[in-house]
Amino acid sequence: MAAASTSKYNSHSLENESIKRMSREGANQDLSETVPRLPGEMLITDKEVIYICPFNGPIKGRVYITNYRLYLRSLEMDSALILDVPLGVISRIEKMGGASSRGENAYGLDITCKDLRNLRFALKQEGHSRRDMFETLTKYAFPLAHSLPLFAFLNEEKFNEEGWAVYNPVEEYRRQGLPNHHWRITFINKCYELCDTYPALLVVPYRTSDDDLRRVATFRSRNRIPVLSWIHPENKTVIVRCSQPLVGMSGKRNKDDEKYLDAIRETNRQISKLTIYDARPSVNAVANKLVLTGAIQVADKVSSGKSSVLVHCSDGWDRTSQLTSLAMLMLDSFYRTIEGFEILVQKEWISFGHKFASRIGHGDKNHADADRSPIFLQFIDCVWQMLKQFPTAFEFNERFLVTILDHLYSCRFGTFLFNCESARERQKVMERTVSLWSLTNSNKEKFKNPFYTKEINRVLYPVASMRHLELWVNYYIRWNPRIKQQQPNPVEQRYMELLALRDDYIKRLEDLQLANSAKLSAASSSPPNASQMMSHLQTHF
Amino acid sequence: MWWGGRGQSFNIAPQKEEPEMGQSRMPEPRKLGSLASSLASGCLPGEQILAWAPGLRKGLEPELPGILICTNFRVTFQPCGWQRSQETPLSSEYDFSLVNIERLEAVSGLSRVQLHPGSQLKFIPAEILIHGRDFRLLRIGFEAGGLEPQAFQVTMAIVQARAQSSETQQYGGIALSKAVLEQGSDFRKPPIPLLETLEDWEMELKKQGARGWRVSTVNERFDVATSLPRYFWVPSRILDSEVKSAFGHFRQGRGPRLSWHHPGGSDLVRCGGFYTASDPNKEDIRAVESMLQAGHSDVVLVDTMDELPGLADIQLAHLKLRALCLPDSSVAEDKWLSALEGTRWLDYVRACLRKASDISVLVTSRVRSVVLQASWTPPPFVPSLSLLYHPERGDRDLNGLLSSLVQLLLAPEARTLFGFQSVVQREWVAAGHPFLTRFGGTGASEEAPVFLLFLDCVWQLLQQFPAEFEFSEFFLLALHDSVRVPDTLTFLRNTPWERGKQSGQFNSYTQVYTSGNSQPQDGNSINVQLSVWDWDLRYSNEQILQFHNPGYDPEHCPESWFPRQQPNFIVPGPPSSMWLFSRGALTPLNQLCPWRDSPSLLAVSSRWLSRPATPSESLADQEWGLPSHWGACPLPPGLLLPGYLGPQIRLWKRCYLRGRPEVQMGLSALTISGLQEELTCLQELLRKWTPRVFPQDHCKKRDPNTILSQTQ
Repeated sequence: MAAASTSKYNSHSLENESIKRMSREGANQDLSETVPRLPGEMLITDKEVIYICPFNGPIKGRVYITNYRLYLRSLEMDSALILDVPLGVISRIEKMGGASSRGENAYGLDITCKDLRNLRFALKQEGHSRRDMFETLTKYAFPLAHSLPLFAFLNEEKFNEEGWAVYNPVEEYRRQGLPNHHWRITFINKCYELCDTYPALLVVPYRTSDDDLRRVATFRSRNRIPVLSWIHPENKTVIVRCSQPLVGMSGKRNKDDEKYLDAIRETNRQISKLTIYDARPSVNAVANKLVLTGAIQVADKVSSGKSSVLVHCSDGWDRTSQLTSLAMLMLDSFYRTIEGFEILVQKEWISFGHKFASRIGHGDKNHADADRSPIFLQFIDCVWQMLKQFPTAFEFNERFLVTILDHLYSCRFGTFLFNCESARERQKVMERTVSLWSLTNSNKEKFKNPFYTKEINRVLYPVASMRHLELWVNYYIRWNPRIKQQQPNPVEQRYMELLALRDDYIKRLEDLQLANSAKLSAASSSPPNASQMMSHLQTHF
Repeated sequence: MWWGGRGQSFNIAPQKEEPEMGQSRMPEPRKLGSLASSLASGCLPGEQILAWAPGLRKGLEPELPGILICTNFRVTFQPCGWQRSQETPLSSEYDFSLVNIERLEAVSGLSRVQLHPGSQLKFIPAEILIHGRDFRLLRIGFEAGGLEPQAFQVTMAIVQARAQSSETQQYGGIALSKAVLEQGSDFRKPPIPLLETLEDWEMELKKQGARGWRVSTVNERFDVATSLPRYFWVPSRILDSEVKSAFGHFRQGRGPRLSWHHPGGSDLVRCGGFYTASDPNKEDIRAVESMLQAGHSDVVLVDTMDELPGLADIQLAHLKLRALCLPDSSVAEDKWLSALEGTRWLDYVRACLRKASDISVLVTSRVRSVVLQASWTPPPFVPSLSLLYHPERGDRDLNGLLSSLVQLLLAPEARTLFGFQSVVQREWVAAGHPFLTRFGGTGASEEAPVFLLFLDCVWQLLQQFPAEFEFSEFFLLALHDSVRVPDTLTFLRNTPWERGKQSGQFNSYTQVYTSGNSQPQDGNSINVQLSVWDWDLRYSNEQILQFHNPGYDPEHCPESWFPRQQPNFIVPGPPSSMWLFSRGALTPLNQLCPWRDSPSLLAVSSRWLSRPATPSESLADQEWGLPSHWGACPLPPGLLLPGYLGPQIRLWKRCYLRGRPEVQMGLSALTISGLQEELTCLQELLRKWTPRVFPQDHCKKRDPNTILSQTQ
């Protein structure tokens, strides 16, 4: 970047750069070269339109619609504009203007996106071009209403890494030291017969029998009984998650449930109390601040309070997932690595039945559905706040989080499809689709935070005060061309240069040491061992 | 923080035996005397200890036992076992100059009272809270059991000392200057040119490559304007006699002077408003016009009042910001953002950045003379808020802010530690920014922290361009904290004239001037002119190293912008186009001066008129299009275009929120500096083992002395 020009400006993206170059040359070239296409992606139609850019004004362009994306290339010489929108992000398509519309560019389509973009296209009134475009878009953006498969089932991409292998519940519980004397792994839900929105594998108190579990299930909303999410490696306190108890009208209590909670309580030898964190609307998650505050309380109880915590909300799949996963991120540095974070999402969100299909509305045209809610986005926002406050604690960078959010909507991968594990199994998602983690783990360098410093047992307590929470400009306002941040971050770049230099020095030192030791093998005094010196030098790192 | 000097013996010796303090609950008068005298041994010349009491620093973990001392200069907390000569945290919690104390509160049980000058304390305080104007907070708890009289005494001493503080600070700086002198220190070269001598001005002019300009000596005796420096730059072909009479037609005698010469050929000029009541003759008008024109055929007068906050606005916003950032601010969590918006501080930062960005575009988009001037005609559209008080409007306040910002945006040289300090010295200190009045030192009503607004703008640039600046956030903090520290005259006077007079330097200079002697005989006094830039008086080596931004890329060598070819400087005849830049747009002008109606000299160029500027479209947009298009049309070299949309302007938390305990937690990590240290060690090893092959230096030498005094 520095070599090309010394001009600096704070809003530039390398991605734009490459696309721009391509588009300028390719004005009259074959379509297949100008429109990016994934294996399995098919071009459906293309139209000449006027794109009404909210920042630049109207731009003449050609739009290409495939079964995966809407792609627009400017036809104007002095504009390098490109739009590349996976159809999955579209939440709503509306016609604007009618046959009687007179104003310039008043006739066309207005598209609202889940990633906070709003796209407006003006079309000619003659020749049904708007109807064609509307119908094609509706069909492929909302395939469920047209008995079409989501694109993830057509995607034929191949990656070096297999993302579906990232999360193996048995391995993850073993990493946590489970099973142990107090906790066992149960297969009672092997065919999702105990609870159809829970994973097949559950960790429960050792002394509670499967029959007891079945009785407890009747007292918990949707049978989502209290099960272990995470165990503290030293003090053995645990985070347990579940849905609300079915106290009902009579306000009756349930002996089996109480007995079960006692069993959980007694696994903790230090404190005879079990903290119950009720995350239902009275402590509603109206802002990321409240989510963070709640998670901090949970983490603090477990870590310094040495008390086990049971977290529940109504059904135990929205706010409960936010709280347990954030608390685990604060407590366990493993989840701050790239693979660890993937496991965290896979475990606490995907396997425990956060209703991604309902909350996001994949391929569904009912944009006003009351079930839709950006619960997962709120979680990722909190993670980003932690990234900002602890710049060296995470192996991944901001781009990783943005990529996850982009594919939360895109329907290119199977990762976030469907509401629970049993549905995913019925649809054979793992066989028939690609995992998002295949993409991220095949390009790990792109998602690494150069400042990451591994610290094993550090508990992170972010500041949840509004004074310190920031607006995630690079996500929420990234479509405004005036606001883009420098990419890549120059300080990160400088740091990478220095890291490379360090590696070079160390290599030269080792070479020297080899040469020296050969030369001085006869002599009595040799220079200090290079690797000894190095290990000392790297300690503060 | 401020007197903790390296190589000075200002250290207040700490109590050696900690237990003794606790046991001697009630020191006898004699003993008090001896303790006081041992404390006093670390005092500044002229500093007297008024009272002291053992106390406990509270509010931060861990709580620290120590002594609270009140002198006639400051309130300081001396933790047990802490040596002043040792390095102290950069934003020291320990020293509060008396003028820095904004609010003093005493707490006992449930009662909490604010102590004003003249207040009488009706109870023995269990705790006192000292709120600094620089956003710091000191909380001291007092032990019960026999020591109450001392707690009472020290509190009352602070109340009284504070009431008298404004006079005290008048000579604080001199005391320190003298102190250095008495210690017989050698000739001490200022770390940066202080622009008090002709040579400094000549040298700087040469460095900028501004041919066609010369140093005028017409103000050597401050008889053109006391608020102007002795020397300034005017177009070569204007005679000093013309300068003198032309300057009389500007407010406060502040006629057009060169601020900065852009290597591409444009000139940045600043001046006060036209004195519309004066009646200049033809020759004067011609002189004024050619000074504004500065030899260019294209002249833009930039109205530096419009769309920017007035002094009263800035002061009000800063007061609100301070109230909001107090650790015990009553603002509810969920009202924080609206309260922050309500201060309007960020809005003003935004307005300054936008204006500076526009001016940078004017300077670089073609070769011209760009004149910063407070609005010269009373326009009907000036925002009402700005009308509150501005008898002098502009040249000493916002012109300095804008011209410094423009230089930071355009000149890589100004982004070095040396260059930045030089810019501040030239555009603020030498240019007569009334620091003392603006920081409330004179008690006049025109208090307004314009300079702090500037520092906030610079901090925003640091955030947006983290690899472009050689100095760090810590350096900005140090500068921020220096404005009320009465150790040097830099920020304690309103004009160069007052500064020179008070340091005694002016007198000797006058002697030189009248007698024609080349070297003053009476004194070492002339050579010792300490400035705020003598950082080693107050900061340790370690701290000074932190002034360096580890992310700065030394590839940005300042040499690269040195003058290419100069356009033909002297343009015969009047300018062919004259503009007023106001409200984000250029309007053609018929004449530069307001005093006569001459036939229109203007050949109307249609470029700007044909494209009506919408509010969202900045000059940069008009010149180069949207940022996403800049790849196609490269920006002028060296230019930084700051973002100034709402979300891009952020709160300087490490400065404004540092009274709050959570900020003390390690929210930042200077990983790069750690890596650089490691690289230095590795380099050393390599050097040791292979005497012949030296690896290339990976960064500039990180020695504080070279960082801060690389006078070329």
